[in-house]
Amino acid sequence: MWSRTLSGFILGLLISISVALNLNLMLPIAQDVSLLIGLLVAFPIWVTVQVWSYHFSSAKEAWLKGLMVLAPCASLSIILMLMRTFG
Amino acid sequence: MKADGLKALTNAHAWVGLIISTVLFVVFFAGSLSLFRDNIDQWESGPHFANEQVASKVSLDQTIATVEQQYQIYMHDEVRIWLPSAQQPLINVTFAAELPDEQHQDHHLLLSSTSNTIVGDGERFDFANFLYGLHVDLHIDDVGKYLVGLVTLFFFVALISGVVIHWRKIITKFFMYRKDGSKDRLLDAHNLIGVMGLPFHIMYAFSGLVFNLLIIYQISYVIVLYNGDQEALFRDAGFVETHLDETKIKQPMVGLDQLMIKAKQALGNVEITRVSIEHFGDQSASVVFSGADPSQFSTRKEIKYHIATGEVLYKTLNNYDNTLRSGLSIIASLHFGNFAGYTIRLLFFLLGLGTCYIILTGNLMWIEKRAKQRKVNQFGLHLVKAMTSGGFIGVIFATAVGFIAARLLPVTMVERSDMIVNIFFACLLGAIISALLTKQQAQFSKLFCKLTALLLCAVPLLDWALLSNDILVMINLGKFDVIIVEAMLILLALGCWKFGSAINQETKVTIENEVTVSETI
Repeated sequence: MWSRTLSGFILGLLISISVALNLNLMLPIAQDVSLLIGLLVAFPIWVTVQVWSYHFSSAKEAWLKGLMVLAPCASLSIILMLMRTFG
Repeated sequence: MKADGLKALTNAHAWVGLIISTVLFVVFFAGSLSLFRDNIDQWESGPHFANEQVASKVSLDQTIATVEQQYQIYMHDEVRIWLPSAQQPLINVTFAAELPDEQHQDHHLLLSSTSNTIVGDGERFDFANFLYGLHVDLHIDDVGKYLVGLVTLFFFVALISGVVIHWRKIITKFFMYRKDGSKDRLLDAHNLIGVMGLPFHIMYAFSGLVFNLLIIYQISYVIVLYNGDQEALFRDAGFVETHLDETKIKQPMVGLDQLMIKAKQALGNVEITRVSIEHFGDQSASVVFSGADPSQFSTRKEIKYHIATGEVLYKTLNNYDNTLRSGLSIIASLHFGNFAGYTIRLLFFLLGLGTCYIILTGNLMWIEKRAKQRKVNQFGLHLVKAMTSGGFIGVIFATAVGFIAARLLPVTMVERSDMIVNIFFACLLGAIISALLTKQQAQFSKLFCKLTALLLCAVPLLDWALLSNDILVMINLGKFDVIIVEAMLILLALGCWKFGSAINQETKVTIENEVTVSETI
């Protein structure tokens, strides 16, 4: 149980940060509104990933499936950051 | 969802609930009481200042002069003044005073608004703040705050996993309550209160996370989006800081009454409740007047002046004109239940106690299930039983003793509040140790619940035995804080007594079942 807790905790945190950052970088709205939207979605995403990780029968599966979600989110974050820096 | 997934999630739900249960119970219990924080504060201090009235005009200049006569105010800490209200007739002033060797000491003074004299030491009436601190960070400062944040995160996880587990039966079994089987009864009570209070639970889980773990996202935003510039993030988030650099040139702190008149005109429909002064005594000193707009939901107004020149440094009529700060203000209002009088606070109080019951039934189901298993870690089972009886009932017991101490300890006692805190934690620790040492958990819990109920009932008796005249004066002035707190404690006492009696019946039923089983064999 502890290993699935750890996978959900770490991956949930990273996915939620990534999604919140992506929304901030993509949405063409005022920064304060964007920050509020990020705040509203971040915690529920973290919690959802944590719950999702618990439904797997093994920690390995939870890590693998979680990483499969994190990879595109984090990639998009990197692309958006590069576009902001060099675009 | 597949059966395996559902089974794994159900196990995780029980496991997570068990791990966080003791801290979550303390947080919810203290939080439920803290909904009446102002009332508890007035319950403790009000009777000792029952004859104090609110002056028609409060003078800030006289207040400052009175404090300066006795203390050398430390410039680098903020001076805060809470203005009197119909419920709270005294002026509260908090500040740090300079001591020799560049030391300083915090003070909280109570001043009469009519005579502007110091009538008491606010630090001696701190039980309401103690309970609130227990709710926020368990009184372990930052570590406690993040610990409560993590517990809140896993409370949210338990909520969502509970909804997923119960989803297929959420409508059909909504009103189901089987009273015959012990396990069924616990499960049905757990589900029923959990589903009925779900919006409330989700709101509390989310808002608690925002208060205690927001810093995680703040750090990530600063690093990734703002290239390490925290000030830029604060500006976008509406936390406008208009500091003036210290000049080291002395400036008398006068003219605050005139500035308050200007502030009232500038802010319009708002009752100014708090005044704070930065760089007290320096030429750069500034003063902030702030208050909530009673005609709007969760809207704060604020204006900041440079004291020496009277120049406006900052003004906001709508939550700092920032969407994020408005959002945070709304989240705070929902969390504190301060937007619809006593009705919503009573509802939140009952739902908060309902959450305590959900946590309790969750633990009891786990204990019941484990007790039936042949290969069970006896020490682990005993530990959970002891934490459930000693920790859960213990925190209510310690609170009851805390209320009694707050009423009995003399107000002249210098370390009064510290003594109440020590008594509270000694009682809680004693309860947990007693529970760990006892083998008859059911009997222990039954007696402990009833003892706690009696102690809770003793508080109103002590109130009226010791301070009846002062309480009557308060009631005649329309201040019902003592009555509200007493009603709350009697409600808790009834709950404890009823629960203690239920344990009695439960034990009887279990014994009868065991006898029937052995006879059959």
